[in-house]
Amino acid sequence: MSTLSAHLLDEIKALPARYPQPRSAVMPALDLAQEELGYLTPEAMTEVATALNLDAGYVEGVATFYTLFHLEPIGKHRFYMCTNLSCTLRGAGEIVEHLRGVIGVKEPGEVSSDGLFSYEEVECMGACEYAPMARVDHRYRYDLTPEKIDQLVAERKSSSSPLSPTLSPEGERGKPKPKRVSRKKSG
Amino acid sequence: MPDINLTIDGHKVTVPAGTLIVEAAKTAGIEIPVFCYHHKLDPVGACRLCLVDFSPGPPRPQTACTTPVAEGMVVRTQSAMAVQARADILEFELVNHPLDCPVCDKGGECPLQDFTFRHGYPTSRIDGPRLHFKKPIPLSENIALDRERCVLCYRCTRYYDEVAWEQELTVGQRGVQSFITSQFDQPLQSVFSGNIIDLCPVGALTSRVWRFESRPWDMAHTESVCSKCAVGCSVTMWERRGQLVRITSRENDDIDEGWICDRGRFDYTDVNDPKRLRTPTIDGARATWSAALAGVAAGIGGKGNKLGISLPADLTNEEAFLFKHLLDGPLRGAKVKMHGRTAIPAPAGPTLRIKEIDDAKVIVIVASDTEQDVPIVNLRVKKAMSKRGAKLIVIHPDGVDLDRNPHTVHIRNEKGSAAAEVRKLASHELLKNPGGLVAILFGDGHGSEDMNELATACGDLAEQVGGKEMPLYRATNERGALALGVAGWDSLDGVTSLLSWGAPPTAGIPSSVRFLVAWDHLPRPEHANAAVVLPATTFAERQGSYTNLEGTVQFLRPPIAVQPPLKEAWEALMEMSVALGLDMDYPGIFPIQRELAALVPALAAVAQPPDPEPAPERVLIGPAHP
Amino acid sequence: MAERRGTVGGPVLTEWFGKPDLHTLDVYRSLGGYSAMQKVVTSMTAQQVIDEVKTSGLRGRGGADFPTAMKWSFVPKDHPGPKYIVVNADESEPGSAKDRYLMENSPHMLVEGAAIASFAIGGHHAWIYIRGEYDLPFEMLRDAIAEAHAKGYLGDHPFGTDYPLDVRLYRGHGAYICGEETALLESLEGKRAQPRSRPPFPALKGAWGMPTAVNNVETLSTVPWIMRNGGAEYAKRGTEKAKGTRMVTVSGDIQRPGNYEIEIGITYRDIIEGLAGGALPGRQLKVFWPGGSSAKVLPASMLDTSTDLDGLKALGTMGGSGGIIVMDDSHCVVKAAARLLRFYAFESCGKCTPCRVGGNWAVRTYERILANEGSQLELGILERVSEGLQNGRCLCGLGDAAGWVIESTYRHFRDEYEDHALRHTCNVGKALAHA
Repeated sequence: MSTLSAHLLDEIKALPARYPQPRSAVMPALDLAQEELGYLTPEAMTEVATALNLDAGYVEGVATFYTLFHLEPIGKHRFYMCTNLSCTLRGAGEIVEHLRGVIGVKEPGEVSSDGLFSYEEVECMGACEYAPMARVDHRYRYDLTPEKIDQLVAERKSSSSPLSPTLSPEGERGKPKPKRVSRKKSG
Repeated sequence: MPDINLTIDGHKVTVPAGTLIVEAAKTAGIEIPVFCYHHKLDPVGACRLCLVDFSPGPPRPQTACTTPVAEGMVVRTQSAMAVQARADILEFELVNHPLDCPVCDKGGECPLQDFTFRHGYPTSRIDGPRLHFKKPIPLSENIALDRERCVLCYRCTRYYDEVAWEQELTVGQRGVQSFITSQFDQPLQSVFSGNIIDLCPVGALTSRVWRFESRPWDMAHTESVCSKCAVGCSVTMWERRGQLVRITSRENDDIDEGWICDRGRFDYTDVNDPKRLRTPTIDGARATWSAALAGVAAGIGGKGNKLGISLPADLTNEEAFLFKHLLDGPLRGAKVKMHGRTAIPAPAGPTLRIKEIDDAKVIVIVASDTEQDVPIVNLRVKKAMSKRGAKLIVIHPDGVDLDRNPHTVHIRNEKGSAAAEVRKLASHELLKNPGGLVAILFGDGHGSEDMNELATACGDLAEQVGGKEMPLYRATNERGALALGVAGWDSLDGVTSLLSWGAPPTAGIPSSVRFLVAWDHLPRPEHANAAVVLPATTFAERQGSYTNLEGTVQFLRPPIAVQPPLKEAWEALMEMSVALGLDMDYPGIFPIQRELAALVPALAAVAQPPDPEPAPERVLIGPAHP
Repeated sequence: MAERRGTVGGPVLTEWFGKPDLHTLDVYRSLGGYSAMQKVVTSMTAQQVIDEVKTSGLRGRGGADFPTAMKWSFVPKDHPGPKYIVVNADESEPGSAKDRYLMENSPHMLVEGAAIASFAIGGHHAWIYIRGEYDLPFEMLRDAIAEAHAKGYLGDHPFGTDYPLDVRLYRGHGAYICGEETALLESLEGKRAQPRSRPPFPALKGAWGMPTAVNNVETLSTVPWIMRNGGAEYAKRGTEKAKGTRMVTVSGDIQRPGNYEIEIGITYRDIIEGLAGGALPGRQLKVFWPGGSSAKVLPASMLDTSTDLDGLKALGTMGGSGGIIVMDDSHCVVKAAARLLRFYAFESCGKCTPCRVGGNWAVRTYERILANEGSQLELGILERVSEGLQNGRCLCGLGDAAGWVIESTYRHFRDEYEDHALRHTCNVGKALAHA
């Protein structure tokens, strides 16, 4: 009884051919598995290993090294809250405190009782000019205030479909996106 | 390439080009402490313990284990920076290291202890809680892991990855939270797992079979060879108070390069079993040797083909020689079965030596899963592929572990058709222009192949492509027994008398047997109806020699003296021969070896056993090289 | 202080920023984009490209500051197998957001630069290793590459030539250490990202064992402009030895955080008080990190320091990745340093002993100090650890950077450290110090 869908396993098996050496496929393969399941279970990691003709221990070692691979359930929406220097200087501490209250958890990693939310305190995400900021699922959210947190949470509570686009390892799955609205500039 | 001259701490040293500074220093007797460096693994420069200054060179210190020597280099291992750097690194390693020395099995042969004593700070400034992990963790039945002691030198995971081509042992997490773990906490399965115990420079990986058994200084150690398979790896056997307490690897670059498999490492506890047989018995009652042997002679002498003889895989050359005399004399006509042997016939001519695999350009393996059959040869093949660019062709009906390498060419044959596939190989693109030696290793497919055909096909292929064959015998002394003509292959069904020498036949005692003589070291259910049971010595008490699969004669050196009333195997056999009417009077084993060598040219080396009292090897820094 | 030679001409990297839909190929092309690549692949040799970049004096903008043309020239021309350009888009240095900014505004600029760089080293593939958190830039690059393929600018016959060129993407999954080039290469090979011992250097043995040049996003984004306008034109900007312009990110306790393109040689006061508006109302600037958290701090009294890269090195610090973090007097330096050490300890890959153990030991020591359990012993431990992390003790620069944080904050703000450790008090600001 396989954890990953047959379709996904086929995709994973097709990955090694795209890289000069087959082991490089392990990171995108884990990414696909995590997308499907929400997080990586030992069974899923073992299936990825088998599909790539690698030892499960190897895959486990890779998965535990990188912070974006989640080895425990994370709920439907994950708030990655930056608490590095610039964001902390601009009040990230209070924002995290507020978030905890709004989603109803006491510590990072804990999933809210409705199964919808969890958060993580992470290191610099390269958007220091918009401090304090967070990554919510697959998008950055800038210049956070308690009100913005409230809004972000409320939006996700009411929506039933995923709000973020799924990502393929490279260009094959998605078509070029339609023209994007002009982004907010700085400086 | 010419040798390189350099100066290390004022000593002039000359070493081959490509030598690393840390090895060059050893030639001058200078110790540069290392944790992550191991001479059989690729250097990584991870632990930073071996930092030295050298000029000409970069302004910052470099690791001696990753830097090869250069002509005219001046290396300083005692500069203020290097001395302080070493002490600092050792202090860092000790920050989280538990104060386990009194209960840690590594104590007494521990590089961390020794280096701290010789290179570290004399007082401790460590004041604060240490990192804790759950401990000890059983990695398998035989190996325990203690994560708190681990210094994260990564020797174990690198060994698994580079040498054994497996990753069931891995590193989890990162940074200071890193720890060694077996994949998803499952027990280690690999037959090569035990070597990590020898590699580990601290007490993080320890043998559970030897746990809390003794301190290194309490043991006497003896250099011997392993008795479990035909590869014949060198081992060190450790004895304490008449017990065999552990077996560790011993480096022999011609055969094993310092690795042994788990069978050789952990399968020894039967030597110390309190139920060991000590006295002969007749019908279950204690008897003297002379009475027992008289009974044996009466029961097996002159029985022709109604007598069956079951021989063990680890029959020494000397025992085989005595059996030959018996089979040419009073036991003529007996059916002989050497169990554990392959169906491969005796070699036709000179065969490939194990160390020649290193230089092979193409390796062909037929009808053998080498990981199970000849494990350490399997490691040598892996080394040739990954470090020396050899190509590999496998002909085997099932998948083998060598398939992990994407460059392995695996031809899956139908069982029984291996010879046909070999014949097609001469035109294989990898063998059209191999550019050097082709190594052809062939097994017997565990009985599924016609060995005469296969051996001929391999011989022909060797001629066609410039190759040399290596028949993959499995029984420890199969090749020696074949040379002496006692490696029998007969079925034992229908015999009425059976002489069972060593472990009982795997197929059991035939129901036709009326008179059973067993020479064994443990009581067995099969002995229930034995007429005579003779107490046997084990490999740990055995003198003699084996001929490994490449034809090299290697000598056992027993760590444990034979305690009367036990008799050595050759002595028991000699007395049995006398009881059967042969005129034989060997005062010791050497005369047997001399006669044997004179009789069988292929085993001439048996007459040249090495020095019986070699200088003991230094065991200052652990059983394997630090 | 190196002499600024006056601003000549306008911006380089942000030349077209602000034009709507600059991220689309049509707009980028209409402004002159891809004309450089076309010229290069249809009419120039690889050596000519390297020479032009050498004339420009371009140095790596990822923090290591190595001359770009020299790095490319280390890749052996006659190597028979593949040669790779690997783009380090793993930007994770605290304070640095410029690469994200460049990729989001003009992904084609990077694609074009990477392709030209591949040509210059005789390779055909550029791999962009982009950190996993950068979802939007990843998508934009993915779309840009698809557009370039569709237009025939990438692929088997770029601009009708027979020199195949492709740009590929590989996502990271959360590890600051992947910003170190050999760790990045390990990650690209699908392994745990632990730096390699050097030598061998990536130019000889890099990605998948092949000769490789690893370049920063900003460095490669500059290349099209240089090929369009000439290296000499680029070299007119900047200082005598540190030529051209660079991006900086300014963040922290200032009025106008943002990404700015500056000419190398202006002062930090020009940036922090000029471009970024200076301190927040009622506060005084206290300390700044001139080039990411890994650059040794400078006190506010040294705001007039020039951004000249060599001058900064002479002062013992560095221009680094240009991530300028500014802190004012309402925040405690010891707490800031403690927070940064937690960052380094968390991101440590664990391969080498001093960084793995020393970083964590420093974190625990800071915790004791900040919990009012400190003493002279703790200060001694910090000094010890800082020494044990620097000067070749560690396998890569992450360890050194952690050591620099401790050393530089202690040197310039010793009284704050002693307040905490010896007097068990914090005298920073009137308001609660909450860093």
